[in-house]
Amino acid sequence: MTEPLAFDIREYLRLELMPHFMCPGCGHGIALRALLWAVHELGIAKDKLAVVSGIGCSGRVGAYIDANTYHTTHGRPLAFATGLALARPDLKVVVITGDGDCLAIGGNHLLHACRRNLDLTCLMFNNEVYGMTGGQVSPTTSATRLTTTTPTGNAEPVFDACRIAEAAGASFVGREVTRQVPALKNLIKSAMSHVGFSFVEVISDCTEIYGRKNDLGEAPEMILHQKADMRPEAFGNVADQPFRPNRLTTGILSQHDLPEYGETYRARAALLRSGEK
Amino acid sequence: MSAEAKRAPGAETAGGRNILVVGVGGQGVIMISKVLALIGQRRGFEVKQSEVHGMAKRGGIVFSHVRFAPKVWSPTIAKGEADALIALEWAESLRWLDFLKPETGVFIADTRRIVPPFACLNRQQGAVTAYAKATPAEVVERISNAYALDASGIAAGLGDARAANTVLLGCYSVALDEPLEHWREALDLFVPKAARAINHAAFDAGRTWAEAARAGTQEVPTMPALFSARGPAVKSELEINAAWCKGCDICVKLCPERCLALDKKQIAVLTKPDACTGCRVCEWLCPDFAITVHQTAVGAA
Repeated sequence: MTEPLAFDIREYLRLELMPHFMCPGCGHGIALRALLWAVHELGIAKDKLAVVSGIGCSGRVGAYIDANTYHTTHGRPLAFATGLALARPDLKVVVITGDGDCLAIGGNHLLHACRRNLDLTCLMFNNEVYGMTGGQVSPTTSATRLTTTTPTGNAEPVFDACRIAEAAGASFVGREVTRQVPALKNLIKSAMSHVGFSFVEVISDCTEIYGRKNDLGEAPEMILHQKADMRPEAFGNVADQPFRPNRLTTGILSQHDLPEYGETYRARAALLRSGEK
Repeated sequence: MSAEAKRAPGAETAGGRNILVVGVGGQGVIMISKVLALIGQRRGFEVKQSEVHGMAKRGGIVFSHVRFAPKVWSPTIAKGEADALIALEWAESLRWLDFLKPETGVFIADTRRIVPPFACLNRQQGAVTAYAKATPAEVVERISNAYALDASGIAAGLGDARAANTVLLGCYSVALDEPLEHWREALDLFVPKAARAINHAAFDAGRTWAEAARAGTQEVPTMPALFSARGPAVKSELEINAAWCKGCDICVKLCPERCLALDKKQIAVLTKPDACTGCRVCEWLCPDFAITVHQTAVGAA
């Protein structure tokens, strides 16, 4: 049973770049494994996979994948991926982006990518901080947490990225923690199999810059803490659970059957071409 | 004090009985011991029963001592003093064996196995559960008055496996020489109306089985081999790429078997290879892809 599914991540990595640049215990590596595992189980050929990433720790993750990878400008991976998916519908396009990349600088692109419902998979690695640039506050930094730009604790409310994506029209929205690798792999698999825009928030850990500054413990403590913070989808929405507002709903949060933009676009183009003749 | 002196007066009196009913929470141990207590009462004996209400959790150990005789002092049966041991579950039957009278005690047990979670503590793939290994044939051979039957199977055949306790009661009833109507009346007192028919049928089935067993025409049931809790046996080997490991400690702290450690250079090493069950938690959670678990089937080698 295990034989046909046997998965060795090294087949999907650019081995000459390893070991990767990420800090010890960084959750992004685990999220990358889940993505590659999902790709392996879906049987997507490496040359049919295109990974687009932005700037930040999450942006660097894409570079280690032995496939078509595209390291784009800050906040714009979704914009680049939109063009790529429209031009090359034969490719499976996955966007890897971070919380700052996706929600702050690229917030506008996220809204419109969700609205168009183009067949893309967007993985937002949420580690609550701008790690690569030195640990500045991001739109998902929890209240009272210390960062280099909030030395007395963050006073701003946070974004719930999944609810933003759902409201903006994403037809598939999910969330999972890196602690649950097989569950995360299965969620990414469903997201990639879904036709339309799928948004997955991956709760990751920044151990060195965020965890240490906030006294959240070492990497094992942080990853163990994820389990206390998460709640399987069966328990309902976060909004319905006022007694545990800090707990995160995980799993597939919403899934709708909506017209996919790429198909509509190509049908329109074909109609125009036939009209010209 | 010798065992003879400890023996409660009256227990040897003709007609008196010490009956130990054992099983697992939820099987109906208390129900049949109440029936037995009532039968004792009808015979004009003094009756003591312990326990009288199920205090065990569903799935936990349940036992009930039923004693009736002209005069009963202690509510509990001493070791080696039970005239009959009625066991609703196989491992429980073995656990209470030393309460049975060595030569004359009657042993009646359901061969059904309810494997408790603590019998599955070995998480190695291919590990056999720690459940009692004695087979019915071995036990029946060692005890002079032993009857092992698939009461749950008989009850399930009648329509409800929950009536297995009544099958065993029916089986024991042949030893007491009590009219059938008395047993039925006693049963009806403790069984819900809707379940009366099935319990009567189960009682009769048990009685029929025991009569045939006395005639020597019943075969000792065989039990399937103890199953392997976690699939076929495999050998797990860990490949740790020291050049990629950054010593984040995740694998060390999250390994369920605690078989990894960091060495002096802060590199993960496998310290207890035999304890590794190949669960792959370390491989999945390693952010640096430094751990790969290789598994090979043991049987193939």
